[in-house]
Amino acid sequence: MSHAEHHITPIKTLVQVIVALFALTILTVATSRLDLGAFDVLVALAIALTKGALVVSVFMALKYDNKVNAVVFGIGALFVIVFLAFTLFDTAFRGDLSNTTEGTIMEQKAAEEALQQREPDPAALQFNRSNE
Amino acid sequence: MASTAEHPVHLQHHFVSSDQQFDASKMGMWLFLITEILLFSGMFVTYTVYRVWYPEVFDGMAVLLDWRLGGLNTLVLLASSFTVALGIHYAQVDNKKGLVTNLILTFLFACVFLVVKYFEYSAKIEHGIVLGDGFAPHGVSHGVDYATYDVMFAQQFFSIYYVMTGIHGFHVLVGMGLFAWITIRAMKGHFTSAYYTPVELCGLYWHLVDIIWIFLFPLLYLI
Repeated sequence: MSHAEHHITPIKTLVQVIVALFALTILTVATSRLDLGAFDVLVALAIALTKGALVVSVFMALKYDNKVNAVVFGIGALFVIVFLAFTLFDTAFRGDLSNTTEGTIMEQKAAEEALQQREPDPAALQFNRSNE
Repeated sequence: MASTAEHPVHLQHHFVSSDQQFDASKMGMWLFLITEILLFSGMFVTYTVYRVWYPEVFDGMAVLLDWRLGGLNTLVLLASSFTVALGIHYAQVDNKKGLVTNLILTFLFACVFLVVKYFEYSAKIEHGIVLGDGFAPHGVSHGVDYATYDVMFAQQFFSIYYVMTGIHGFHVLVGMGLFAWITIRAMKGHFTSAYYTPVELCGLYWHLVDIIWIFLFPLLYLI
């Protein structure tokens, strides 16, 4: 029963990881100041996933650990993706799948106009961006 | 190193060896962490659904959250994760002083995180950004007219903000309690390279709290 079997992460590795994590934090702030359009979200998520992977693999030592723990974590992560994806299959496509009404185009246009009159004033959605 | 025949004090009778006991505890902790991840994923899914529905509102509201304070807190929590990892390293090499020092540092970083969060919350509450029916942004601060942010679904963004950061903050508070307990035990010399399971498990918990914040920061403050 030797505890020498436990992996001891060298301090040098820990320092390298924390430096990388700090650098990635600065990077995610810097990229968010740029206007990347739709890529904003993707870049921020990619950086956050990289940081999370570094913490899980080195700080939580999953990389060196008994593989069964990696399986537990992997299955957990998989179900988060299932949860998110299957919820979005519903919420992101509401109205797209069932818009096969029997009404004429004229009727649908009238209904759409009636709906638009209940929309908030677009001017109300103009935010004060003076501090950007 | 004690042999199985000597039966070390920390070894419970239903385990064959210290290693088996350590591995069982650790796997139990990972299973608990998965339930924590699923708890938070419910909130992350809520965030995603509302963001997909009202992207312009979520994009606009992020401006009201101060990225400097959020960024500072990110660095503070990352540093605390580093000190926990260092503490475990020192426990593994029987350096009691290194272990205690790093556990105290972790506790202090957690305090800093909650103090910063307190200032962030009070600045928002002052301007009528609250959880629930009282939501009514008003006043001007740093050139930002809060009243212009009183638009449809702004309240949903801030409800998600308060609930997610609030439950995360509660986890930080629990972590502080755990580290206070672990630090006292470490000072009493309860942990050695042969037995440091509670330090390892509290460390895993703390890293998870850090990971949740790694995702909360860009999603709420930046994009």
